[in-house]
Amino acid sequence: MVRSTGNDAQALFHALRSAYAATPTNLKIIDLFVGFAVCTALIQVAYMAIVGSFPFNSFLSGVLSCIGTAVLAVCLRIQVNKENKEFKDLAPERAFADFVLCNLVLHLVIMNFLG
Amino acid sequence: MAKVSIFKAVITLLLPLVCLSFSPEEPTDRRILVLVDDFSLKSSHSIFFNSLRSRGFLLDIKLAEDPALSLQRYGQYLYDALVLFSPSTDRFGGSLDLAAVLDFVDSGHDLIIAVDASASDLIKNIATECGVDFDEDPSTVVVDHGSYAVSESDGDHTLIVSNDFIRSDVMLGETEIQAPVLFEGIAHSLNAENSLVLKVLSASPSAYSADPSSKLSSPPTLIGSAISLVSVVQARNNARIMVTGSLAMFSNRLFRSGVQKAGSPNKYPKSGNEQFVTELSKWVFHERGHLKAVNVTHHKVGETDEPLSYRINDDLDFSVEIYEWSGKSWEPYVANDVQVQFYMMSPYVLKSLSTDQKGLYHASFKVPDVYGVFQFKVEYHKLGYTSISLSKQIPVRPFRHNEYERFITTAFPYYGASFTTMAGFFIFSFVYLYQK
Repeated sequence: MVRSTGNDAQALFHALRSAYAATPTNLKIIDLFVGFAVCTALIQVAYMAIVGSFPFNSFLSGVLSCIGTAVLAVCLRIQVNKENKEFKDLAPERAFADFVLCNLVLHLVIMNFLG
Repeated sequence: MAKVSIFKAVITLLLPLVCLSFSPEEPTDRRILVLVDDFSLKSSHSIFFNSLRSRGFLLDIKLAEDPALSLQRYGQYLYDALVLFSPSTDRFGGSLDLAAVLDFVDSGHDLIIAVDASASDLIKNIATECGVDFDEDPSTVVVDHGSYAVSESDGDHTLIVSNDFIRSDVMLGETEIQAPVLFEGIAHSLNAENSLVLKVLSASPSAYSADPSSKLSSPPTLIGSAISLVSVVQARNNARIMVTGSLAMFSNRLFRSGVQKAGSPNKYPKSGNEQFVTELSKWVFHERGHLKAVNVTHHKVGETDEPLSYRINDDLDFSVEIYEWSGKSWEPYVANDVQVQFYMMSPYVLKSLSTDQKGLYHASFKVPDVYGVFQFKVEYHKLGYTSISLSKQIPVRPFRHNEYERFITTAFPYYGASFTTMAGFFIFSFVYLYQK
């Protein structure tokens, strides 16, 4: 068990890659966008750790803008995923319209709070 | 013409009377009522009375039983201070009684009480109301076999000496009292519950209060430094009271008498009584240690007008002028322990004021990062001085919406991140909608 760890991890990674290759393109695009938003948030947190928390409202709005966008994108992904039977009655167009509306509200708030 | 000159004469006569009344601008007492048991006190205590007269006081010396005695007429006090040199009086004449004396003090007037071994209950009760308890046994006097005054008729050691003064320049003057003070009279102790009463002259540790003519059957109740010879009170309304168990202390006999403490080689040609009594009476009659605070001003640094309110984190200048009454004029008060508080339920700022030696006290500080209704407070309570307690209210408001700092360089990455996310959202929508 112990000696086969390296091989197992490799096998797991391969399985994951091949499974993910079967994911529809629109979900892959959403994943890419989520990754981008989370990275931007992490960069800001690292920056705040270096320069201090002085314009704290700006920091909060910067980070929450990224996190919020990422969360909304994840919600969109759940709703447009065809394998998810829970939202089978919800049209993907409707899901996308909700996503856009929520983003507009989010960024309106962020702009007000940015200072 | 004649009428005019008569009118002028009347005005000239009345003017001094008008000016002599007690006022906050001229806090010295001018008219003093002295109550005595016996007019012989006029000559036996003449040095003390003359020293008061030479300082500009009008003395009205009356018998304590005088049926026309009255402290006030038509609600106005006729006197600014009362001196009770009438220890054996059981009842005052006229409308004067215990309550009248206490009302007199409660309205901010000064009082000197001196008694001797014949002290009556009335006088003792007045003293008790002032926080001073005389020895209840009427036969006792202060006896001290350790620090009595050497004299020819040296017998029962009731003429004692003491130089255990309170350390206060404002009460006893800046010149140190060299010769010890002679004391002949009864003992009192301070009421422990009265925080305003102070011992000015205390007896030596070897003193005790007893009847010198009889053998001690039980230990004396008042002994050692618990015995106070002279005590003072400054009430919260700045009325000052002096209580002593020795009327003889003010007499010409003890003023002029030489003094030598038993067992001490130093012989003084003149006792310290005159200096001690004169200096302490200057304090009691507000010729010293009476402070006033005027011209409280505050403004933003760099401005001169007093604003209606401050904003949080403003820098402000606060200043107040404090003067001390010297008996004739207001002199600048110089001290380094005056403090200002910026107060809202608790002091947010407590700062010592710096003085320019001309009476102006000044401090600058930053308004705290808290908004609400604040007060500038100066609470100054110093031993021997009248207390200063002034406050001035001022609101402090938060930043207005357009007063916040914008476009801070440090925050540019955050701005960038927000806009990048928006741009990302736009591109994402485009790509998502048009992907095949």
